[in-house]
Amino acid sequence: MQSETQPSAIAGHQPKAFAVKKARTRFFGLTLDECIRVFFGGNAFVAVIVLALITFFLFREGGPFFKMNRDSIRVYRVAGLEYVDIIRQQEQDHTALTRYLFDIRMKVVKQLRDERGGLIEADLKAARLTVEKLLSNGAAAGAPELIQAQMRVDEFQKADSALTLEINASLAAFDKFAERYGDTVLPVRGLVSDIGEVATGIKSRYTENEDYKVARAQYLAAGKKTEADAIVLKEIDFKTEVAAITAIFPTYQQMNQEFAVGLKRVVNDLPILPVPALQPRMVRFSELTDLYLAGFPETEVRLKAWDQLAPVPWYHALAGFIFGKQWLTASFWQDWYGVVPLFVGSLMVSMIALAIAVPLGVGAAVYINQIASSREQRLIKPAIEFISAIPSVVLGFFGIAVLGQSLRALSQVEALSWIPGFPYSERLNALTAGVLLALIAVPTIFTLAEDAINNVPRAFKEASFALGASKMQTIIRIIVPAALSGIISAVLLGLGRVIGETMVVLLCAGNRIAIPDFTAGLAVAVQPVHTMTGIIAQEMGEVVRGSIHYRALFVVGLVLFFIAMLINFLAQKIVRKYRISVG
Amino acid sequence: MVTAKASAISHSTSSTSMETPASTPTSRPFNLSSPAADSDQTDTLIEISDFDFYYGTKQALFDINLKLDDKRVTAFIGPSGCGKSTLLRCLNRMNDLIDGTQIKRGGVKIRGVDIYGREVDSIELRKRVGMVFQKSNPFPKSIYENIVYGLRIQGVKSKARLDEIVEKSLRGAALWDEVKDRLHESGLSLSGGQQQRLCIARTIAVEPEIILMDEPCSALDPIATAKVEELIHELKKQFTIIIVTHSMQQAARCSDKTAFFYMGKLIEYADTRTIFMNPANAQTEAYVSGRFG
Ligand SMILES: Nc1ncnc2c1ncn2[C@@H]1O[C@H](COP(=O)(O)OP(=O)(O)OP(=O)(O)O)[C@@H](O)[C@H]1O
Ligand SMILES: [Mg+2]
Repeated sequence: MQSETQPSAIAGHQPKAFAVKKARTRFFGLTLDECIRVFFGGNAFVAVIVLALITFFLFREGGPFFKMNRDSIRVYRVAGLEYVDIIRQQEQDHTALTRYLFDIRMKVVKQLRDERGGLIEADLKAARLTVEKLLSNGAAAGAPELIQAQMRVDEFQKADSALTLEINASLAAFDKFAERYGDTVLPVRGLVSDIGEVATGIKSRYTENEDYKVARAQYLAAGKKTEADAIVLKEIDFKTEVAAITAIFPTYQQMNQEFAVGLKRVVNDLPILPVPALQPRMVRFSELTDLYLAGFPETEVRLKAWDQLAPVPWYHALAGFIFGKQWLTASFWQDWYGVVPLFVGSLMVSMIALAIAVPLGVGAAVYINQIASSREQRLIKPAIEFISAIPSVVLGFFGIAVLGQSLRALSQVEALSWIPGFPYSERLNALTAGVLLALIAVPTIFTLAEDAINNVPRAFKEASFALGASKMQTIIRIIVPAALSGIISAVLLGLGRVIGETMVVLLCAGNRIAIPDFTAGLAVAVQPVHTMTGIIAQEMGEVVRGSIHYRALFVVGLVLFFIAMLINFLAQKIVRKYRISVG
Repeated sequence: MVTAKASAISHSTSSTSMETPASTPTSRPFNLSSPAADSDQTDTLIEISDFDFYYGTKQALFDINLKLDDKRVTAFIGPSGCGKSTLLRCLNRMNDLIDGTQIKRGGVKIRGVDIYGREVDSIELRKRVGMVFQKSNPFPKSIYENIVYGLRIQGVKSKARLDEIVEKSLRGAALWDEVKDRLHESGLSLSGGQQQRLCIARTIAVEPEIILMDEPCSALDPIATAKVEELIHELKKQFTIIIVTHSMQQAARCSDKTAFFYMGKLIEYADTRTIFMNPANAQTEAYVSGRFG
């Protein structure tokens, strides 16, 4: 530019332009390079936008749950249901104690039968079998051997009923005791049911009125004033209505006193069991009753202190969800949305799955990568990877039709009865679902772990061999430790895979919404459970859009979403660390 | 002596003839204060005869005949791809780990024992023939654990003995003063030269008889290289060393004898002085004077 304005020193010598400019085709003002950049960049951003949208949507649908749950708890309190539940708890504790008694009785009967009746039972069985055999062999009705066999059956049957009678007779004192024990609670039970009815009455009139309010507002919004006016609203005066419930307190106190006296009298007179070895259980039972009785004053204090109008703090709604031990919906009494049973169910099924899938997946990865011949590799690797291509509903189907059945049959094999929880009768349970989920987790764990092992520098392996290590020593001491963080993240991603799996658990976990009984030890694994994913799949189709139940399911979805994010985050963090440590 | 050696390398089935090197250090064939290293007369330790080696169908070594001396440093030189590493790795059967390798003819004897013989266990062999690699490759473990690895896999448990060997090996590899206060830090935290000396220390910890070094200094700076070369001088009092190198000066400085390879064939083998001053073969002459390779 400048050279043009200045006269050239040497005539005729024009300075050459610095030729780096080039005209380019432009689309919307962008060069081709820029277009490509925008295209790929845009695609990458779609993922981020979708993630953000999903998060937003989950929060929008799930968020109002907490306000609604708080309202629900508020009504529970203000309509007096909470008051009734305090007394009901006392009644239910008593029921639990009678169940303990029943348990003792079963043990006694079993013991007595084993002692004396085992023989008769076996004989009876054998005799029946003979009869069946004879009949199926086409023995004529009057054949002498058939008559003889039938007579034997009758004989043993008689002996068996005689034994039953004898056992019942020896337990007469116990049965009398149990009956008297059970009867003590009857007045309180009657009271609970009476005031319970009053409370549900209040609550249902309240909800009805709320529904009318909504309808009225809708009519008004639609401009239909006459229809709106036709709806008569009846506000509930909670204070006076619930007074009818709290008014029973003196009666209750009176009853409670008699209840306590009655219980003490019954327990003071413990029956002697016909099996002395079980007598300590009776002593334990009377101790439990004492403990129960000691709780009476507290119940009274709680009832007296109960305040119908006490505010429900906002965190109750949150804690009720996070720590709530009950997921109870469509109940005539009160709905509870506690995630704990579902969370525990999901966790338990996943842990069972991992307990199986980790040794299998990691073991297979080590084998394939380090030991197998290339022919085995070509066979096994695609086979394992193919498992992940099986639709999970097919696996679930397989679980119901084959696995559940065969596992139960296996559990009933006499020789295996030492395994905790064996034998069991529920075909669909956490174990069945866990075994299938393990199948789903194995390909994930296998593929990623194999990758991690493959990434261990060859130099480590060579150095180990050069020092005189065997193949096994090299694998255990060098290769697996060097790949460990990769293996851990493989396991984590496997966990992410199973915790989000829906179809298999819905079909095979047994779907019982209750916290499994961990006092059973390892046998807890064969209890039916329900899971977070399963409950969403099962109930989402039935709930009213926008209802508290609908929103509760979304909050469960949110929990799942965050668990998945957390697992992926951890896995990535560990992998990154692993890269640095080896590099 | 020969029979004792044979049983040490062989994977013998009877437990009585099984030698546990770690527990019987005095029975080892080399003596730490052996004056033999300085005497002029030498024994042949390794004998390679009519050796043909294949990677699959591709022949990498052609009819190698070579006798390597005990307690001496032998250098393998030659242009890239001529088969130096291949031959070196045949001496401790590291090539067994590569699929499809085979020896079509000839064999290798160490102290008269055919190391490719049927009853020889390659694991026992590698305890006696250690190896240091071109790229230093400490395990991702502490310095201490790196050194004791070879002993741990042999089942040595005594802490006192392990400590003793760690110090001895690190001193032997001229690394002790630099790392004695950080034995439990990662081996990967050392510098490149230190890592290579750590690998040497790790190798001598299992007290092999022969140490194979495949271009041990090619990734090191001149100062680190000088240290390793000094170390080789020290080590040859106790060990037989075979070193592959691309540096003529290094071969000249460190080795007693030199073998020149070209295209998978042994071209010339003689005293290092002869190879560099007065080579018999024209190709050797061209290579050592830097005219090709
Ligand atoms: N794992 C292998 N599979 C097949 N061929 C190989 C393998 N390793 C080496 N070779 C071949 O064997 C020949 C000798 O290789 P080698 O590594 O022994 O050479 P080198 O002398 O050590 O070379 P450099 O000085 O570059 O290390 C080369 O032609 C090489 O391509
Ligand atoms: Mg090489």
